[in-house]
Amino acid sequence: MSLPKVVSGFTVIPVAYAHSTHIIYAKAHASSSKPTKPAFPPERTLFLVNVPVDATERELSLFFRHAGTVERVVLDQNDLGDPELQGRASGSGSDSEDEDSDGPDTSMEVDAEENAETRPRKSRKDKGKDEPAPPAVVPLPAGPHRTLRKTGAIAHIVFLDSSALTKALTPLPKPRAWPSSEEPRGLARYRALYDEQRPPLDIVKAHADTAMELYEFELAKSRRESAYRKGEALVDEDGFTMVVRGGAYGKTLGGGVAVASKQFQATSKTGSKKKKESKEKTSFYAFQKAEKQRQAIMDLKKNFEEDKARVEKLKGSRRFKPY
Amino acid sequence: MPSSLKRKRARGAERGQEVGTDASSVGLPSDGELLEDEGPEDSGGDEEVSMDGVEPTPGDPGATSHHTSKPPTGEELRVIKDAVNLYQSSSFKLQVDALLPNVRPSMKDSRKAPLEHFLHSLRSHLISMRAIEPQNPVSAARALAKQGIAVPFALPHPTEDAKWKVGFEPPSDVNIVGSWANQICVKRKEGAPFTVDVTIEMPDSLFQEKDYLDSRYFHKRSFYLAVVARSLSTSLEVDIFYQSALGDPRLTILVLSPRKGSQNDFSKAHAEVHVIPVISSSNPMPLPRLSPSHANVRLPGKSSTGAQPTPIYNTNILLATYPKLSLLTTNALKRLSPAFSDAYALLRIWANQRGYGEGPICVRGFQGKGCWWNEILGLVVLGEEPTNANKANVRKPLGKGLSSYQLFRAALDVLARQDFSQKAVYVKSTNGHKYSPDEYTSHHSAVFVDSTSTLNLLADVPSTSLGMLRYDANETLEKLNTSSESDNIFAQLFLNDQTRLFKRCDAVIRVDLTRASKKRSAHEFVEYGSSDNALLAAISQTLQRGLSDRVQAIGIFHPSSTMCSVSEAHGPLLSTIYIGLIYNTENAFRLVDHGPPVEEQDSEAGRLFRQLWGEKAELRRFKDGRITESVVWEVKTSDDRAFIPVAIVRHLLRYHFGIPISDTRNPQNYFDAKLRLPEEVSNIFQASGSSSGFKSALTAFDGLVKSLKSLGDQFPLVLSTVSPTSEYLRYASALGPVPIPQSAYLALPDSYRYLPIIDVNLEFEKSTKWPDDIRAVRKVKLALLEAIATALLSANRVIRASVCTADYSGSTGQQGPSLEVYTTEGWAFSMRIWYDREATLLERLSASARTPVGLLAASAANPREQREAQQALEIHTRQFIHAPRHHRAIANLAHRFTAYPGTVRLAKRWLAAHWLLVTHISAEAVEIIAARPFLGSGTDHPDGSSSVPRSKERGFALLLEFLRDWKPEEPIFVPIYEKSTPSSEPTVVAVSSKQGVWTISTSEDKSGRMWTSGGPDIIAARRIRAIAKEGCKILHGTDIDSLSVERLFAHSTDDYDVLIQLDPMVLPRYHQSVNVDSSAWSKDRTNPREDDAIPRPGFDPAWLLFQDLQATYSDTLKFFYDIYGGRYIGAIWLPTVSGVRPFRVMGGFSSMPVSQDQKTSERNKGTVVLNKQAVLDEIERMGTGLIKKVEVRERS
Repeated sequence: MSLPKVVSGFTVIPVAYAHSTHIIYAKAHASSSKPTKPAFPPERTLFLVNVPVDATERELSLFFRHAGTVERVVLDQNDLGDPELQGRASGSGSDSEDEDSDGPDTSMEVDAEENAETRPRKSRKDKGKDEPAPPAVVPLPAGPHRTLRKTGAIAHIVFLDSSALTKALTPLPKPRAWPSSEEPRGLARYRALYDEQRPPLDIVKAHADTAMELYEFELAKSRRESAYRKGEALVDEDGFTMVVRGGAYGKTLGGGVAVASKQFQATSKTGSKKKKESKEKTSFYAFQKAEKQRQAIMDLKKNFEEDKARVEKLKGSRRFKPY
Repeated sequence: MPSSLKRKRARGAERGQEVGTDASSVGLPSDGELLEDEGPEDSGGDEEVSMDGVEPTPGDPGATSHHTSKPPTGEELRVIKDAVNLYQSSSFKLQVDALLPNVRPSMKDSRKAPLEHFLHSLRSHLISMRAIEPQNPVSAARALAKQGIAVPFALPHPTEDAKWKVGFEPPSDVNIVGSWANQICVKRKEGAPFTVDVTIEMPDSLFQEKDYLDSRYFHKRSFYLAVVARSLSTSLEVDIFYQSALGDPRLTILVLSPRKGSQNDFSKAHAEVHVIPVISSSNPMPLPRLSPSHANVRLPGKSSTGAQPTPIYNTNILLATYPKLSLLTTNALKRLSPAFSDAYALLRIWANQRGYGEGPICVRGFQGKGCWWNEILGLVVLGEEPTNANKANVRKPLGKGLSSYQLFRAALDVLARQDFSQKAVYVKSTNGHKYSPDEYTSHHSAVFVDSTSTLNLLADVPSTSLGMLRYDANETLEKLNTSSESDNIFAQLFLNDQTRLFKRCDAVIRVDLTRASKKRSAHEFVEYGSSDNALLAAISQTLQRGLSDRVQAIGIFHPSSTMCSVSEAHGPLLSTIYIGLIYNTENAFRLVDHGPPVEEQDSEAGRLFRQLWGEKAELRRFKDGRITESVVWEVKTSDDRAFIPVAIVRHLLRYHFGIPISDTRNPQNYFDAKLRLPEEVSNIFQASGSSSGFKSALTAFDGLVKSLKSLGDQFPLVLSTVSPTSEYLRYASALGPVPIPQSAYLALPDSYRYLPIIDVNLEFEKSTKWPDDIRAVRKVKLALLEAIATALLSANRVIRASVCTADYSGSTGQQGPSLEVYTTEGWAFSMRIWYDREATLLERLSASARTPVGLLAASAANPREQREAQQALEIHTRQFIHAPRHHRAIANLAHRFTAYPGTVRLAKRWLAAHWLLVTHISAEAVEIIAARPFLGSGTDHPDGSSSVPRSKERGFALLLEFLRDWKPEEPIFVPIYEKSTPSSEPTVVAVSSKQGVWTISTSEDKSGRMWTSGGPDIIAARRIRAIAKEGCKILHGTDIDSLSVERLFAHSTDDYDVLIQLDPMVLPRYHQSVNVDSSAWSKDRTNPREDDAIPRPGFDPAWLLFQDLQATYSDTLKFFYDIYGGRYIGAIWLPTVSGVRPFRVMGGFSSMPVSQDQKTSERNKGTVVLNKQAVLDEIERMGTGLIKKVEVRERS
């Protein structure tokens, strides 16, 4: 069987499996949207599609070692669900898989087990350069293990050297075997994972305590930085007073104008529970009574007709033959 | 309906035209014509006018074009009101109307004419038959036998030296009687033809006064019948058979069925002619000699004075005069009460659907009792004849103008309330009692005397069968009283076959009679007419005495007797009967049967007790000091206890009738075995010393709660509630929980090491100290759990405690951290903390996208975080809000219905065995659905309702039937919460094929998606229906043995594309598998590895692998797995990835380009196909150490 060398602009890289050949599609990374702050250097980044589900960074760099030294590997699991990326029907080569602004950071953290504690660290990096140093968090143990990704995933490989890129994209004479790194697989992986998720109690305690310290620290900082002072209206740079929810009695901050309630915003209904009771008597005049009676009879007939229609339908399906 | 609608439309249009042609008078005559055509329709239009008091505006098309906008006419109104008031509901009435024409014979002339023609020729033939001189009965029979006609002599057979003679003279009268003559006949089961009863009156000259003695009458009757049979077989072109109801030769009749293509072919009428010999009312046998108290059979060797009365024998003679009288009374009833024939039809259909009549599985005693149903209605219409003892409260006649439904219901009421064996019933007769009422009550077990006042129609109906009838009538009445859905109830009453034993009875015992001892007294044979009848009557009596109040009803079921050739005098003997028991929950599982106290040991009661129980009866002293005769049933397990009633039946049948235990079969044990670990496995666990089972789990849980409460002062917050959410704590897991103490754990091989983990929610007092950020909340939880763990460990309440920081499900931390503890006895618990504001925080996170850009937007989460928050919120709601509630409801149900836990467990085991439980259907959803046979869908379903199953086998059979009939897209409501009402119809949300399709709402979950949002999807739902159908078929098979139970739980792997074979040696749950291959672990016990030194509660790598596979290949393959230690993971390729598709970066599946030689045009460039083998290789790599091999299967 001869495979095509190129599919929709992607070089086909066959990988030899035990009983078959897996296909990785590769292409030079081309960043189109934000040239100002390139997440990946376009001239030496390889963009891969259909990476093996259990691939580790190490395995990928081993696999492409023949082309040159790999600087870093980014397995983009975070972007999988990004609607922006999903909506992009590729094939034309618009593979600008650059990240949000904090791209390089994610690459290092993406594999960390607990997203929960990576985030506070991130925000710290973004904001407080000249602040007092925040408390460090004792991490929970996260040993080396594989993260399984959804099949057909993508990856970026940044080479040290741009010549490696072309070398990587030259079709190979025959499929190369998939390398294997030391992270455990299968049963061993589940065992390791099970044990790792149950860390010693003292580490849990240290982690929880330090994480809370950090939280307190962040809270204090954001309070300091917040423009909001109790009882004062919010004014933006242009000097406009902003009308925002949060003041007392459903008014804006600092008082003054009333703000639409959340409920109103969601349903366009005011929350007033008052219901006007109709004062009108319903069966006062003779004609009302007659009308009522007539309505009752009409309802009777309507129900009957409905029943009839239903039984007709049943007749069709059940045929009313008991045996 | 549609035609009338059309007409009305046409008329509306007509009127609309009139406006245009108002000035010209052309429209008027046509309008007049229309008026005549439509009759009531149009007068309705007139009424509308008068009622409104408005000017007639005939031209208003808006008012007339829509038919419902017109008020009904008086006639219509009457019909509607009648339907609503005189029937259960108007739709019930409409359904009755739709049903009745389908069960009546066709009245078309083309169909009836051939039959009439045949009847005429039959009559003329019979009347012109030649007489035969009286001769000795034996030699006469011998002469007939030479011509191939047997004479069905009754017991005791005539002898050579008989002094009396049999002869033949043409019948003095030939009549058509019965339901055909009265035009009330109702279709029989299984497409059997209608019966046309023709009586031939044997002339009085053939009989003598003493013919009532020693079956002489019956011998003469048999001979007469045989002569008629011979004559008809030669002269008329019809097939002739003998048939005797219940195999009693005294009731033998001739059945003439049409021969295709012959001159007398009346097969178009779909009928057969029954020829019944009768005698005139002026026959020489004196009526007083036939009263129930007379002994009319003299057995050799016994003096005539000491002979026992023969009431059934006497009744059978009296039956010979009955058909004509019955015809007249029924006809009178028909004239008296217009709805009689409809009510009769309803009653017969109802009875036929429940096996009171003919068919392969019938309640014993009702074959050939067609007239009894007339008489029941007669009793309702005419009332009861007063007796001396019972003058005051006799049944009053009901109004004659009752509707058919009301009559039917009144008849059911009689059947449900009246215990004919306790209180005799005498239908109102014209001339008072003929025999003294006491005679009936003292000689018959059940008494229902017909309007001729000579016949007890229930003489040969065993009282167990009447009990069954009473039970069925009660159940139906209950349904009519409680149910609100009339469509459903109608089908249950009349359309569905209710004879399936497994869904009808709590226990079904198949009894092979071939080895039963036939030794009964000669009197019994003579009285009951045949050895089968005598045996079954005795069995019925014995069982009733032995089971007494343990059961609500006992049913003896067997096929009704069939026709046999005229060359054979008797039909075949009964080989098999089925005994169905309907338990009385309070008493069914009683351990001791008390007899009379020791003082009365020598009395009659004591003797009877010992005679009933045999060697089982013994004198015992009880705690309260009594010493009584008693029978004690030894039980070791709860399974044994549930088996007591069946054990009693077995014992009695063996002791009294010599039926070996191996001939009485009941599948309960096989079902029990499915819910137990195999013996060899449970022995290993028992060796560890900890007691297993639900009770022990609950005790362990109580112990944990106590420890937590006692250590409360060491926690930063006060613990307020500990709520269980585990199926192990509500008797609902398929297999009982088994604890493994640490010492035992380490000695066990891998395939035994599954330690069930029991989920518990902790709730702390409200505090303001909680942070206002979801991530911080989780850290606080960690800290709290750590504090608890330390406290528990330092107080030595548990031997291990660890905080689990994540779930396996990939998405980390969504469920929040949990604390896992391991107790000394070997129980493992997993505790999570419920913090109620978490929901608010998550809601805020997931909803922040909708808030407009402003201050809040600064902290708005990105779409990914939002999605995660949404998922977390869903999990939070399910786990902390719904799960505890659900747990309480299910635990309640388990207490209310003894059979409920068993049903749930069987259902779970069954679904798991078919690789669906948990992997596709949540355990909670199964628990809710399994409650449906117990609770129905109604609002208030009384606990004591008779339709509630009282054994798990019956519950399971009902559940299977429900799953088979339930269309997944229909939402259902199950009232598992007490005092719940189906407030609003659950609406079906639009579901995509990936989501669950079931909507099961409860009063706490209006949307009905809480437990089914994740599945079953449409593929799984269809599969469930298919296997339920298969299961029903197996259960409906009359013979249930261990093999068919195995078949029920055996899963066919034919439908899978891929089978992933796992290594049973490393599966901790393998010992729970339905079909364990014990060689898997007995071969070698793997030496414990280094990393195995610690117990891993809840660790199940196969399940983890399954989850990983599902997450990784959710768009490529669909996986199935038996969570109870299945050896295979099955998978099917999804159609969404089949075929050649264009290459996409986000294709979502592992692809390979279409190879070049296949490529034909440039257009095809960039197309890919699924790389199946590579996917399978990846799977194999993912399951290193777990997967033995991946099999690809070719599906044809």
